[in-house]
Amino acid sequence: MKLDKFWISVVVVLVAGFAFTKLVDNEFYFFATYVVLQGLVMAVAWNILGGFTGYVNFGSAGFFALGAYTMVALNKAFGLPLPVMVLIAGTLSGLLGLGVGYISLRLKGVYFAIATLAIALVLETVVNNSHYLGGAAGTYVIQPKESFIFDNYIELLFMFMLLIAVVATAVSRYLSASRLGMGLAAVRDDEVAAECMGVPTLKLKLISTTTMGIFMGLAGSLFPFFVTFVDPVSAFSLLIAVNSIAMPMIGGTAVWYGPVIGALVLGVVQETATVTISSELNLLIVGVMLVGFITMAPRGIVGLYEDYKAKRKGQNNG
Amino acid sequence: MKTTRKISFRNWMLTGVLATGLAVSSVFAPVAKAADPLKIGFSMALTGPLAGAGKAALIAMQIWKDDVNKAGGLLGRQVEFVYYDDATSPSKVPGIYTKLLNVDKVDLVVSSYGTNEISPAMPIVMRKGLVFMSLFGLAVNDKFNYDRYFQIMPAGPIPKDDWSRGFFKLAMEQSPAPKTIALLSEDADFALSAVAGARRHAKRIGLKVVYDRTFPFGSPDVTSVMRAIKAANADLVYIGSYPGGSVGLVKAANELGLKAKMFGGGMVGLQFAGIQKNLGPLLNGIVNYDFWVPEKTLNFPGVNAFLKKYQVAAKGKGVDPFGHYLPPFAYAYLQILGDAVTAVGNLDQKKIAEYIHKTTFSTVVGNVKFAKNGEWATTRTLQVQFRDVAPNDIGQFNKPGKRIVLYPDSVKSGAIQYPFRK
Repeated sequence: MKLDKFWISVVVVLVAGFAFTKLVDNEFYFFATYVVLQGLVMAVAWNILGGFTGYVNFGSAGFFALGAYTMVALNKAFGLPLPVMVLIAGTLSGLLGLGVGYISLRLKGVYFAIATLAIALVLETVVNNSHYLGGAAGTYVIQPKESFIFDNYIELLFMFMLLIAVVATAVSRYLSASRLGMGLAAVRDDEVAAECMGVPTLKLKLISTTTMGIFMGLAGSLFPFFVTFVDPVSAFSLLIAVNSIAMPMIGGTAVWYGPVIGALVLGVVQETATVTISSELNLLIVGVMLVGFITMAPRGIVGLYEDYKAKRKGQNNG
Repeated sequence: MKTTRKISFRNWMLTGVLATGLAVSSVFAPVAKAADPLKIGFSMALTGPLAGAGKAALIAMQIWKDDVNKAGGLLGRQVEFVYYDDATSPSKVPGIYTKLLNVDKVDLVVSSYGTNEISPAMPIVMRKGLVFMSLFGLAVNDKFNYDRYFQIMPAGPIPKDDWSRGFFKLAMEQSPAPKTIALLSEDADFALSAVAGARRHAKRIGLKVVYDRTFPFGSPDVTSVMRAIKAANADLVYIGSYPGGSVGLVKAANELGLKAKMFGGGMVGLQFAGIQKNLGPLLNGIVNYDFWVPEKTLNFPGVNAFLKKYQVAAKGKGVDPFGHYLPPFAYAYLQILGDAVTAVGNLDQKKIAEYIHKTTFSTVVGNVKFAKNGEWATTRTLQVQFRDVAPNDIGQFNKPGKRIVLYPDSVKSGAIQYPFRK
């Protein structure tokens, strides 16, 4: 029954998104929503590894940029259809995720986190020195004139990102609710104990890192067509990495809907701040909210709500 | 009977989403207008790495707005700015320009400062068919080929090559003519493009390239790089660098006693008063690009009056106190747009673009005529040489005689000192 409700919600969200493109003319809402959805995909992807498995990834921007630059390269070399290039970008980022999974054989905790950061730095150096990808100077990506059944290209990008967000959320929900999810939780709680109990920890970690990589790559894949100019500074931006961690932390890392809530709250606040106060305020907002939640509500908004619910239940029973 | 009011998680989420939606809607809702001003929209780098220049540009733009409004506005309407901080982040730009056009309903748009912040606005502006005056974008229109794009930096019709054309012309006029060159670029957008142009000139002229390297953007220590350049013993040393790198390289060249005959080229930062004061006499002899300097040959109508206003407005704002480099051009790109709108008599974007294409504008940065690609029809990227710079005196850079214009001939104010160090 619960499964049905979720899938009904998925259909409703997709239909509503499509109706949104047909009923709303104001392009600003598509740009703003696209950014929020991009953050949502990154947050959900980060949480699959960081929240479910307990392996903290500081190199989110590296996976994002790999997706973005794969698109740049494919578009330049072959000019393939957008969905094909997106799938290839996601696959390559997934393969990088698989590689990161093998790193976790030897590295745990803070050392694993530092290794992921190092991977992002290595990728950035490669891009900086790749003339084909535009190097440090950056490169242009011209949006195609055709936008399928949509009125303009941003509506197409919005719809695509909505689809990726829905798939990422569905996969995250499946991982969290399934036997696989229990295995991931066992790895998070005590990897040695889980191994002794017969949990295939390596296999689970590889699934987790690969899935994380795929979705981060998918989130980055549309970025070149969104901004039309990609350079290493924006593709490997600090804000991307920080948001990927902050959104699940603020929403709650223990459940699949935590990062979704965190991404919607933080994303909307950031987009509002951009056009009301200052874009630079974004990092400050993220910082303040992150510190606030970590110190006062370490289980995020979901945790706050569960505490509130338990308190009400206690009062009613008393 | 005891009743329990339960709030389901779903309802709680729904309430949250609705509340957020209402809050956002109220923020984005158009505000009723008391009058009917003519609104010009733009994003600007007011925070982030380019904030210093972005803030200075905004001061200049506000001076233009005040000047125009005092004179009765544009088309009889007072001019009003609607602008947002893009934090020097390209990903912010598309959202900002769609908000400007679709929510704020601005009448005209102009660009932010810098190539990376101009490009992301192009598809949006092009879709709406708007005239787009741009502020210091390097060869942005090479990819877009938009016939309503106009760029105010005086790089010239082939921006990447025109940038260093003067440096090589000067070098090849010397006797004996130089034979070798060392090329060094900081690993980032502008510097790489500037040095790529220099490389093409070197090849065209037949100079032997004895050193051609890049160094990481923001590198704290460049002494080892300069040591390698000195060892290459080139006649010419052409550098593409950003402020931090430029300061380091100038200091290193002096410490190590660089023997090249010409040194400089595309070093960003040497145009700013703060850095000029910091480096003082170490600058003497360096030949570098610039756009406007207080030489008599560049005393265009209105420029001194503008700079006077700028220097008053800039006090205490943490921006360049003299405003020679970017502010006159930030004033001029609006001046051109304003003149075109006035001449056309309405906001018909096609007519405004046609007018800008066919007209030579008299501005505070001199006469401006655009080429077909929206760049200046002829380059006026200056090559200036620092001379007789005294230590610890920032005021000297606001007077003639410290940056001698060597190129182009139309605004030349003195002869080159060659080799650069005696």
